[in-house]
Amino acid sequence: MLSWQYVVKRMISYGVVMWLAVTINFMIPRLAPGNPIQTIMSRFMAYGVVQGNQEIVEEYARRFGLDGDLFTQYISYLRELFSGRLGMSITSFPTSVEELIVRALPWTMFLLSIATLVGWIVGNLLGAIVGWSRSSKIAAIIGPIAWILSQIPYYIMALVLIFVFAYSLEIFPLGGALSRGMTPNLSWEFVYDALWHAALPMLSILIGSIGWSVVSMRALISNVLGEDYIMMAKAKGLKSSYIMTRYALKNALLPQVTALALSLGNILSGAILAEIVFAYPGLGWLLWTSVTGLDYPMIQGILLLIIFSVCTAALLIDLLYPLIDPRIRYGRR
Amino acid sequence: MKAASLSTVKTIASRLPRNLKLWTGIIMFLGTCIISFAYLSLVPPHRIVRPGLAPPNKPPSPSHPLGTDSLGRDVLAQLPLCAMNSLQIGLIVALIGTVIGAIIGFCAGYNGGVIDLVLRGATDTFITIPMLPILITLASFMRVVHIWMTALILAIPSWAWPARQIRAQVLSLKEREFIYMSRLSGMSSAEIIFKDLMPHMLQYMGANFIFAFIWAILAEAGISMLGLGPQHTMTIGMMIYWAMSYVALVRGLWWWIFSPILLLIWIIAFLYLTHTGLDEVINPRLRRQGG
Repeated sequence: MLSWQYVVKRMISYGVVMWLAVTINFMIPRLAPGNPIQTIMSRFMAYGVVQGNQEIVEEYARRFGLDGDLFTQYISYLRELFSGRLGMSITSFPTSVEELIVRALPWTMFLLSIATLVGWIVGNLLGAIVGWSRSSKIAAIIGPIAWILSQIPYYIMALVLIFVFAYSLEIFPLGGALSRGMTPNLSWEFVYDALWHAALPMLSILIGSIGWSVVSMRALISNVLGEDYIMMAKAKGLKSSYIMTRYALKNALLPQVTALALSLGNILSGAILAEIVFAYPGLGWLLWTSVTGLDYPMIQGILLLIIFSVCTAALLIDLLYPLIDPRIRYGRR
Repeated sequence: MKAASLSTVKTIASRLPRNLKLWTGIIMFLGTCIISFAYLSLVPPHRIVRPGLAPPNKPPSPSHPLGTDSLGRDVLAQLPLCAMNSLQIGLIVALIGTVIGAIIGFCAGYNGGVIDLVLRGATDTFITIPMLPILITLASFMRVVHIWMTALILAIPSWAWPARQIRAQVLSLKEREFIYMSRLSGMSSAEIIFKDLMPHMLQYMGANFIFAFIWAILAEAGISMLGLGPQHTMTIGMMIYWAMSYVALVRGLWWWIFSPILLLIWIIAFLYLTHTGLDEVINPRLRRQGG
């Protein structure tokens, strides 16, 4: 089972990764050529919003923690971070970064949690069936299709889906998360509207993750098939379906849990691009609007949140893994 | 003299791996490069990206086989430029990633101890952290103008996977007898690495190279799609970006947005063929397992 040595080691490495991420996040804008505030000022001037003068630049620098020497900036940055403040958004100025993120987060969570879970379960079951009956006709068809689907990036799938289902067939909306005039409330109408808008973005993530699960599960099941205990079970005269669910599937599923932890970052990155294609108001869309609006505190806040959530999820899966798989004994030789 | 050179060619040919996937991939790759290069030497890039040389928003027709975009540029003419630039970015990233990854992998695996701990920590960090958001942030802070800037940004995380693989290989190789033999016979570490370990690694480095190549081209498309790619030229991602910012899909200009996507799929397809082909050549067991 879980040894304390392992937990401590894992926590330390988690801490180091988080510290590195925070520091990288701090360094990026300061290492980049050009002054972000100057860039924003020149943009404002181009719009004729303000006359760019030195006081405004200094005030901005003070507000966004860009004054003082590097070490002072770093310390104040860390202090702000620990008290949960990510700073102010530049484009929608009086609103704080946290507030905008909290507004966008539920949409991404909704999209990702359902797409990842359903994709993982369906993909693994399908992969198990394909791997188990490798010589059958269904396996010969599903295998290559799954492989192709697993290779296509989410945003390309998203573009194809929009073109087919939203533009040509006009079954689903072209983008957005809710119809005009719809506000979040607890009615069936709202649930239906939200699902109707989420269908295509979800599908674009789902298809890719199903394909990926099928491919890896098929390989795992094929490996398990050669094991002695499967032979033994067959020799005992157990039913084929019983062997598959109770013997093969159980053993092949475990590595898929780790694989899910490792691929979380990829899934999230893909979902960001898919959200942008669909103008879906989650974190990805927020990131995109911040990038186009040069809203640096916003970009950094989102980046930090993404790194934090992926690393934490990976940590949790790593810590829970020995509890599911009794064969694993970390930290002992 | 002539017979001798002919026989050398024959021996080289007989030593080349006989793998259909590998050769199909390489031929598709060379074909794409040659056609693009030939076209670009006839038509200079600035004429391709200059707007207004053709009527805008026209569907495919004999004079413009893939139609024109909203800025009045021929879509087909942009593809060779996209292919060349994207392949160039992929090549730079793959080269940097493979070489640096190999150096780090060798150092970590061969020396062990504290160096291994630090380098492995760095490698694992780069593998766990989702890279796309970081690259987006980097690219939005640096105003990317040239393709080599995109390539350098993409090269930052590209060494991690090769380093991890090479380290694992070095760890398993360095305990073999022939390495002990070399060490006992007084060879230096550098000699052992270059003469004994490197030849075993070259194939793995080849596979890593193509893997990084594929990753870089996809990542470039993802980043440039947001408008963060090289502004003054055309890559696959930039072409998708222009099509998206002119809402080509909703206006029914499908030829504009699907042309770069098909090009992307074509490039990924031949790189993937080369990759799996190379894998099968290196590791014959894969052929039986069905990969």
